[in-house]
Amino acid sequence: MSAVLLIAIPILAAFISIIVKKWSPYMLLFVSFGLVILLGYLPFEIITIGGFSAPYGISLVVDNYSYTALYVVNVLFFLVAIINVCNYKKLGTILLVSLAGLNGLMLTGDLFNLFVFLEISGISAYIITTTNKKPLATFNYLVAGTVGSILYLLGLIILYNMFGTLNMQDMAVRIAASGATDIEVALPFLLMFIGIGVEAKLLPFNSWVKGILGHSNKLTGPMIAGVYAAASLFVFGRLLTEVFVISDTFMLIISVILAFSILAGEAMAYSSTKVREILLFSSIAQAGIAVLIFVSGFTGYAVLFISLNGFSKVVLFLIINHATEVVGSDEVIDLKGLFVNNKLVGASFTATVLSLLGLPLFAGFFVKMGILSQLFSSGDYVFPAIILLSSVVEGVYFVKLLTKLWYKEDNLPQVKFELPLVYLVVVISLLLVVFGLYFEPLHEQALVLVNHVKGVIL
Amino acid sequence: MASLEFLVIIALLGGVLAYLVGKLSKVVGASLTVLVSGFIFVSVAYFGLNGSLDASITYLPFVSFEATDLYLGTSFGILVTFIFFMVSFFNPYFVDKFKYPSLYSMFYLFSLAGVLGVFFTDDFLVLFFFFELVVWTSLFLIPLGKSKKAASWYYGFSAFGSFSLLFAIFVMRNTAGSFNINDGLSMVGGSDQILVFILLMVAAFAKLGAFPLHIWLPKVLGNSPDPVTSVFSGGLEKLGAFVAVMGLVKLAPVGPVIEAIDMALGQYLIAILGALTIVFGTLMAIRQDDAKKLIAYSSMSNGGYILVALTLLNDTSVSGALYHVLIHALASTAAFLAIGAVNRQTGTTKMSELGGMIHKMPVTYIVYLIAIISMAGIPPMGGFVSKWLIFQSVINEGMILIAIATFFGSIGSFLYVFRPLAALFLGQELPEFRKVIKEAPFFMLLPMIILSGLNIFTGVHPSVILQYINNVLAELGVTELGITTWTLSGNNGDLYPALIAVVFGVGVVIAFIIFIVLKKSRKVDLMDTYTAGNFVYTEELLHYSVDFYAPIERLYEKHINIMKDFYKGIAKKVQEFGSFVKYFFFTNKPEITVLWVVIVLGILLLWGDLL
Amino acid sequence: MLLYAAIILMMLGLYGILTQRNIIKIIISLNILEIGLNIFIISIGFVNGGVAPIFTGQNNLGSIGFVDPLPQALVLTAIVIGVGTTALGLALAKKIYAKYGTFEIDDMKGAE
Repeated sequence: MSAVLLIAIPILAAFISIIVKKWSPYMLLFVSFGLVILLGYLPFEIITIGGFSAPYGISLVVDNYSYTALYVVNVLFFLVAIINVCNYKKLGTILLVSLAGLNGLMLTGDLFNLFVFLEISGISAYIITTTNKKPLATFNYLVAGTVGSILYLLGLIILYNMFGTLNMQDMAVRIAASGATDIEVALPFLLMFIGIGVEAKLLPFNSWVKGILGHSNKLTGPMIAGVYAAASLFVFGRLLTEVFVISDTFMLIISVILAFSILAGEAMAYSSTKVREILLFSSIAQAGIAVLIFVSGFTGYAVLFISLNGFSKVVLFLIINHATEVVGSDEVIDLKGLFVNNKLVGASFTATVLSLLGLPLFAGFFVKMGILSQLFSSGDYVFPAIILLSSVVEGVYFVKLLTKLWYKEDNLPQVKFELPLVYLVVVISLLLVVFGLYFEPLHEQALVLVNHVKGVIL
Repeated sequence: MASLEFLVIIALLGGVLAYLVGKLSKVVGASLTVLVSGFIFVSVAYFGLNGSLDASITYLPFVSFEATDLYLGTSFGILVTFIFFMVSFFNPYFVDKFKYPSLYSMFYLFSLAGVLGVFFTDDFLVLFFFFELVVWTSLFLIPLGKSKKAASWYYGFSAFGSFSLLFAIFVMRNTAGSFNINDGLSMVGGSDQILVFILLMVAAFAKLGAFPLHIWLPKVLGNSPDPVTSVFSGGLEKLGAFVAVMGLVKLAPVGPVIEAIDMALGQYLIAILGALTIVFGTLMAIRQDDAKKLIAYSSMSNGGYILVALTLLNDTSVSGALYHVLIHALASTAAFLAIGAVNRQTGTTKMSELGGMIHKMPVTYIVYLIAIISMAGIPPMGGFVSKWLIFQSVINEGMILIAIATFFGSIGSFLYVFRPLAALFLGQELPEFRKVIKEAPFFMLLPMIILSGLNIFTGVHPSVILQYINNVLAELGVTELGITTWTLSGNNGDLYPALIAVVFGVGVVIAFIIFIVLKKSRKVDLMDTYTAGNFVYTEELLHYSVDFYAPIERLYEKHINIMKDFYKGIAKKVQEFGSFVKYFFFTNKPEITVLWVVIVLGILLLWGDLL
Repeated sequence: MLLYAAIILMMLGLYGILTQRNIIKIIISLNILEIGLNIFIISIGFVNGGVAPIFTGQNNLGSIGFVDPLPQALVLTAIVIGVGTTALGLALAKKIYAKYGTFEIDDMKGAE
């Protein structure tokens, strides 16, 4: 099976679904499920489109990194789709397009092609978020996203002008060969960094997040905070590890941005009284940590971190957004006692939060230890301190949230969770526990990804 | 041979089983905790004392244990599993009051598994794994009680402590190249050593609830369900003592040596903080109305004794510290269990609402009496021996101020521990409790009686246990304490604990005879107060335990909230910072993002020019 | 020369997004920014005195400089994407107007 199909099939299905509108939700389910199955038969290779060999034509790269990323994104996408397909029948086409865009993001080995997919998935994301019924917030998202991708394109063109290629691996080779000083490439890299940073929710560039996720519904919350966040972070990882040359100046600037992202993200979550805001601000901090790990060069653990985070965020947002839709408010006070009558969902929520906090017996613990261990062995004491400090704050507000959601005597919020959702969250949280007890597979995966160094050239 | 791995798995599986059974029947599920923790205690104690614990690992991933020649871990392990076992007798009686009873049984056993892991491992990362396991499982036990906020306070401090432990672990790993505990502690040096020392101390202080990281302790101990309180005070706090032993004894002393007292600066500073802990805990305990909170603060000040003693690093002090760990665990568990029993029968622990329990709960009364005698350090009980060891090493070292603090704490404990005794048990019965109250059921009395027996035994014949502690001292590289069967030799002469006990026993018998022979006192109603013709609306205010130490309290009551306000201030600052960032970055105006993009780019461009 | 024009246009676009509080004006500013970028891309490929990059009888083996064809191809894509974004932005503007009755962000009530 060729990796091209991962992009072609959803696009084709999207076209068909325009013609036969009634089919679109079923096609969406069928296609996204089919892709998850097809992924199992995907060989590791570099596909050159149209027969033009690598630096001239566009290439799609299937290696350990993109394979893992594809799996995570497709599975998450399918899970989110299956929960929401009945409620948002009109969006079938758009979701198919966005699936194509996301798969393209994971696969492409070409910087300009990346821009195209960034825009495809971006535009579909804008349309998906219109279901929040907050057009102004969507508009903000659109402006921020567009400016971001314009900056990315600008940086990309400057790089092209300097080195005459658009292929990622070729670019890396030429940068190394040209002897360009770090300062010279810092500007285009920073432009691209900011461009992706807008999507990836890094702190100064993410004012859109509150409007979107703060009013998210059962579709947009998991989609944007889970699937899209994972995808944009994977893209970040690809660029940071394969293309960027990180100079001291550049490193300093992004270190400040990341440290600020992490600390301020947690502080903002701490100061929030709405559950959705708590979750969204905490995911800002998590994004900062993920990028930080990439910058430090520990691809394997970053991938695990992003994957776990993606699954966790899907669970958390699904549960909270469903409850919010029923109760009509996402204030913690209004949702107090939510889990008293929904113990199973509550247990999943709790397990997911504990995994997010990196506590033992959950998968998050292993990943967190791995990350810290790597950071420490590189001799860096500052970032681990920041991560640990932020974890304390994170723990406190999550524990506060959990105790509030579990304890209330009377006047409980009347929320019923439908069965598919319950199954989904229970299965994911069970997996978190299973991998927390048996983390050898995660460990192996991390090692495989660590050995993944700038793939085969050309 | 008992394999440690097997025990940990038993605890974990037992937890799951207790949960499932608890779904069917709460009480049976909770009774399972008795069986499982009993089994674990017996195995750990029997095989641990024989030195035949098996440390091999077959099933658990990444875990590793060490059992041979590990007297420190074994002694802590035996003690804490014992406390878990004793307290577990209470579970079946309390579990039906909890909101999530089967979950309680599960987490109880999970914490036990965590404790086992912490004490028996030789690998720092494994230690941290179990440390955190204890933190989050015990975390969920707390909100089953009165206060929901206590849980987040606990988590905040615990996480701070365990993350500094983790930081220290990684710093040591960078030096030693492996996570081995002994290698790490012995090989780290230079500025790293200072860092490790500080971090380990933060971890120990946070776990032990010592000043200035003590805020969570009274909240948690005061508000948790009664069995949880006992476990925290007798068992989980001891994790802090364990870490303190690592940082103060196993790690080489830190800082320049102060000539006058022949002591490293680092140790001295810890001793001062320990002394402050004693003073602070004592002062706060004096002003509590809730008996549980009172004992909670006394727990805090006892943690201070352990810290002070550990800093001195000689035979009497370290053995005193370790002995005090044991004594305090036994005494405070007994005290908390006694109060828990009262709480179960009456539904309150407020001293001003109770009285005369001795008539209906005489056994509980005796248990409590023995426990507080031990806590106050009065001879026939174990507390006397440990304090004797600690006091004389402090004096011998010439640390006047710290000695004063320890004496103050000891005298202060006379002031406060007898107040619950008088208010809860003595005096007259309250009318509303007169009919309904009975003595606690037998299986609640059993652990209390065992603990009381041990409280007395540790005071009468301490040399058996001190002999074992001498093994620990040898392992830690400290001179062993001179012991014969009936004497302990300190710096200022020998002590004959059994003789003292006999003298006291004779005294008690004489007093009892006098009590029998002389005329009985007249019984009056508790609220039978002379009011000069006024009508009394709230009789409770006239209860003699209200504002008992008001004149003393007045001396410092304005300053009691300094530390609490400090932490609240920090929390507030974090919140303000968050709101500030939110205000500046998250509006519904699309230009904010663009503005920050431009600013960041501008910084880079300007910087490029400057460079 | 072209390069400077492009940069000035981009600056104008950014300035517009930063200062304008009207939805339509913001969309126009975005467009200006995009156009500036497109011109910038074209200018990158421009070779002084170059000819269209087509192999013919007269100019084959590169004795005369070709204009770099790649940026032109990129610009086509970028323009299409820009149009798409603008269209979507305008659709959103219509929705915003329907909801709040105004295009001025400052006048929107309850838009938190």
